[in-house]
Amino acid sequence: MRSTLLFYRRLASPLHATRASVGVTWVAALALAALLLFHPLLLLALLAAVLGAGAAAGVGRRLARTMRTAAIVWVPIVAVNVLVSREGLTVFARLGDLGPFGQGDLTVEALVYGAVIALKVMLLILLTTLASLAVDPDETLRIVRRLSFRSALTASLATRLIPVLAADAQRMAEAQRTRPEGAPTGARGRVALLRAVVSGSLDRAVDVAATLEVRGFATARSAPRIRRPLSRHDIAFLASAAAVAGLAIVGRLGGAASFQAYPEVHASLGAATIALCAGLLAATLLPFADRRGIEP
Amino acid sequence: MPFGPAGALALAGAMAVVLCGCGLGPGPAPSAVKLLVTREFGARTLRVVAAPRVVGQETVMRLLMRNASVQTRYSGGFVQSIDGVSGGREGGEPVDWFYYVNGVEAPKGASATTVNPGDHIWWDLHDWSESEDVPAVVGSFPEPFLNGVQGKRLPVLIECEAVGGYACRTIDARLRALDVPAAIAAPNATPASDTLRVLVGTWQTVSHDPVATALAQGPRGSGVYARFAPGGGSLALLGQDGATVRTLYGDSGLVAATRREEEAPVWVVTGTDQAGVDTAAASFDGESLQGHFAVAVGGGSQGPIPLPAGGGFAR
Repeated sequence: MRSTLLFYRRLASPLHATRASVGVTWVAALALAALLLFHPLLLLALLAAVLGAGAAAGVGRRLARTMRTAAIVWVPIVAVNVLVSREGLTVFARLGDLGPFGQGDLTVEALVYGAVIALKVMLLILLTTLASLAVDPDETLRIVRRLSFRSALTASLATRLIPVLAADAQRMAEAQRTRPEGAPTGARGRVALLRAVVSGSLDRAVDVAATLEVRGFATARSAPRIRRPLSRHDIAFLASAAAVAGLAIVGRLGGAASFQAYPEVHASLGAATIALCAGLLAATLLPFADRRGIEP
Repeated sequence: MPFGPAGALALAGAMAVVLCGCGLGPGPAPSAVKLLVTREFGARTLRVVAAPRVVGQETVMRLLMRNASVQTRYSGGFVQSIDGVSGGREGGEPVDWFYYVNGVEAPKGASATTVNPGDHIWWDLHDWSESEDVPAVVGSFPEPFLNGVQGKRLPVLIECEAVGGYACRTIDARLRALDVPAAIAAPNATPASDTLRVLVGTWQTVSHDPVATALAQGPRGSGVYARFAPGGGSLALLGQDGATVRTLYGDSGLVAATRREEEAPVWVVTGTDQAGVDTAAASFDGESLQGHFAVAVGGGSQGPIPLPAGGGFAR
């Protein structure tokens, strides 16, 4: 049986050891950098940093698998931009007259810009995956609980039920295969399985609602805030988040991260750009260096 | 059969690639291309590039972007500004960038139009409140006579009211000097739609032509900012807003171009009377026409049409 891929599991890593609010802040800072920066070298440095962080957090393989799966997103982004954009000047292939779409001249600039956008989307997908793998979702929802108790409870139950439903589906599929005529194949088989899982989930929802009612959740109030001192991991990841966000903003406002795809590709490649790349890598990965008390 | 199915398929693919103009790399570069950027119907010249930078098989958009600072919209399909001069609204009227290839308003977007050898590309920012469409202009002279339209040189026919007259002989001589052979015929010949016609005669005669008659409707009908009186006795010169700025009486002429749908453009060398036609024919040269949408002559003066704000005729 294949294990479910993208669910949080407590592992021995500095990122898992931080509190959820810090983990979310750190991932948000990296996402901000991915959104602000357009320079391909800086985005590649961020990609390396995120993959390195994933490896250091013990989820590197699952991140790599996500990266391969994300090809269904980034390949079309690059292809569509190359086919649609008419702003570039360096033609590398000509497809002739495409009627209402004009001359089908494919340009290097459209390819580069498409790749940059695809890289940004890839980074956001990887960061979301990293957050779901390494930041405790229950703790995250507990933060939300102080703002809206019922919403947090609903979200918490929903996220808890996803692996349960996945296990249900797995069991039902195995049961189907034990039938004398074998499991129905193709779309028909999948629809039958989906129908069974959905009806089962509704039954579960009714049971959960009844349980919540008899336990008096209708009258529950927001939980009090529990103050905990910041751990050294929390401080390290907060500092990392501040540094990453700061470097991204400085890079965007200064000239170190300047990049222009159209009409011709222009990108700064000076010492400042290289330093910014190194800074982003170091700021992202340094919190993982402290493994005291984590290694078994 | 010399080829197997795979060989035949490969051959068909290769032929399709060749026929559709496909290929790797930028392709062959067109030679002797010219680029002009103006505003207000050619009244103000912003950029003249006699030998623009050309890299491979260019579209009109790429040629412009390579030789000027351009901002586009709709993924590079529409020009918003050239050298910082933007379309939008000016004095409450809509202004935008339009382009003409060899004096003909292109039917497609600039990123869909390929540049051919010898093409004269003209970008102009103008008020289109009076006419959204100016289908043809005279300011690219000697185009389209020399290199034709969309890379295809067209046969030229001069339709003269007085075949042996001064005006007819002048037009013919000027075209022959440019190495453009032209046939001469009486008015209302019925040539093929891809024949480039020059109508030479008084407005009373020329107005019977099915294409030239659109000039009577002014800019909305023909894109020409001038209008003859019904009897042809006077010529009203319009401003960029379509209002009459000046009226010429007697000995007045007009050199203009218009076009019906996708047909070849029709040039009109006409006047209120024969003297006006002769004066207009004398203006049928590059010096008088270049950079103007149309040209009017009268009273020993000549000037661009539409009349620029505050401008007028020059002696």
